Amino acid sequence: MSSPMSPIRLSGAARDAMTAVIEVSDLVKRYGATVAVDGVSFSVDEGEIFGIIGPNGAGKTTTVECISGLRVPDSGSISVHGISPQRDRDRIREFVGVQLQESALPPRLRVGEALELFASFYSNPLDPQGVLESLGVKDSERVAFRKLSGGQKQRVSIALALVGNPKIAILDELTTGLDPEARRNIWAVIERMRERGVTVILVTHFMDEAETLCDRVALINRARLQALDTPQAIAAQAGGSTLRFVPSRPVDEKTLSAIPGVQVVERKDRSVTVTGTGDLAAALINALAAMGVQVSELEARRGNLDDAFIRLTRDAASPGSEEVQA
Amino acid sequence: MRAGLSAELSRRSRVQLAALLKVQARLSLREPYGVGLGLGFPVVLLVLFGVISRHVPGNVGGSGLTVIDLYIPTIMVISFVAIAISLPNTLVRDREMGWLRRISTTPVHPSRLLAAQLILNLVLAAAAIVITIGGGTVIFGAPLSVNIPFFILSLVLAVAEIFSLGLVVVALAPTQTVASALGGVLFFALLFLSGLWVQPVQVGEPLRAIMWYSPVGAAVRALLYSVFNATPPVSALAALIVYAFVFAFVAVRYFRWE
Repeated sequence: MSSPMSPIRLSGAARDAMTAVIEVSDLVKRYGATVAVDGVSFSVDEGEIFGIIGPNGAGKTTTVECISGLRVPDSGSISVHGISPQRDRDRIREFVGVQLQESALPPRLRVGEALELFASFYSNPLDPQGVLESLGVKDSERVAFRKLSGGQKQRVSIALALVGNPKIAILDELTTGLDPEARRNIWAVIERMRERGVTVILVTHFMDEAETLCDRVALINRARLQALDTPQAIAAQAGGSTLRFVPSRPVDEKTLSAIPGVQVVERKDRSVTVTGTGDLAAALINALAAMGVQVSELEARRGNLDDAFIRLTRDAASPGSEEVQA
Repeated sequence: MRAGLSAELSRRSRVQLAALLKVQARLSLREPYGVGLGLGFPVVLLVLFGVISRHVPGNVGGSGLTVIDLYIPTIMVISFVAIAISLPNTLVRDREMGWLRRISTTPVHPSRLLAAQLILNLVLAAAAIVITIGGGTVIFGAPLSVNIPFFILSLVLAVAEIFSLGLVVVALAPTQTVASALGGVLFFALLFLSGLWVQPVQVGEPLRAIMWYSPVGAAVRALLYSVFNATPPVSALAALIVYAFVFAFVAVRYFRWE
């Protein structure tokens, strides 16, 4: 495949001039009167693990189905390695591997047969045996699909997405319904894909999954893109953090509440607990230092992506909420 | 350069089809509705009517033919119907559970899977023809004198029409349950119309005309003439052509891959 010809777009100061392999701009998709995706734009860099998170029915699956060419958007444009998935579906399919939510194999088809079949579909496939081995389902090679456990089915589904040796893998809800150990095993598989340089789009509603695996996440809520940044940045900006410290001399609560980002102030004996958003510690320490107050015994608990998710999706329901922008 | 590329593409296309054929053939043997019905029907019916024929005098319904003579076309048509009606069972299920959609994310369009399945069904139909004609003449002594061109023409039209009808069920049935129910009702109606219980020559008008001009009756009639070295009535061949076009049109018009 030739190098992409599309212009590079930077969506964050922290990002270097990397190569965007997927560009989505102003994507709109309606089903009848329902708007499933409303003006979503983002780009995904080569080799990146890009998460798409959001509540059920937010438009995550529709977005990735448009990227993989399974659906045609009503407006907006998508470019995958410089190719339109709608106009040039055949070329896209050669290098985009897709694992679909709720897609089963014929019940009596055996694992090895399914892998061999899919390998025959591509011009430059991986060795099916090697793929089965790397996913830990080599022992199930001769087992019919209907006899596999949920975790094994999921691994076979990922194996089918990978056997064509894709440059881009789109994985939709890949650990839903799995036990914690099976989830960890699948995460390890995704990490290995990163090492091989495969670009991964991961649709999930598990925040721990996004936090562990993803370089960046797009939060889609009510058909719109609500946040786009690294999981850590989203968590820090929207998830809130809690700081507990002991000031060198008492500071009254009004002064503390006036510091940008501070939302809640609590006092217990000499120690003060402050909850807020943004770069709370820096803002607090700087403001106090300006007053000649030193901070000691500082303890911080960062909000995680889970907190941010709940805050952002709940805030979106009320008007005038702030959007976190990358 | 361009010739090399297209040769490469057609080579890959053959590799893909061969792989699909292999997998579909294995699945057909593991879920043998089509194989069981398509080959079971001709064997069982041939033995049944062959034995009856030995005990019942000839000249059924004043036709000048024996029971086995008359039933050879009926048995072939019933075999085609059994094969065609078993197609929705697996194909509708494959669509319902997202397998066809899964295939459509690969460089292979799910129509290739359908093509592989149809090729296998044609092989089954050919086997049913060989069993019926071979068994009918060699074991039960039917004095056939096949008019090869008309026989082939009648077979092609009959298979095209009956397989298209199976695809109509695939196109219209939203779920496997509906497909099975629809297929079951259709199957028994077609068994009757093809003359399994009573041959058209044994019934009066207007039932005889209804049977002769039904999708399966027209096939039986065209085949009956051509296995006794006669020219099939134009009306029978015309009916087959019209049915084939109508069924194919409906199937294509309403077909869904997901």
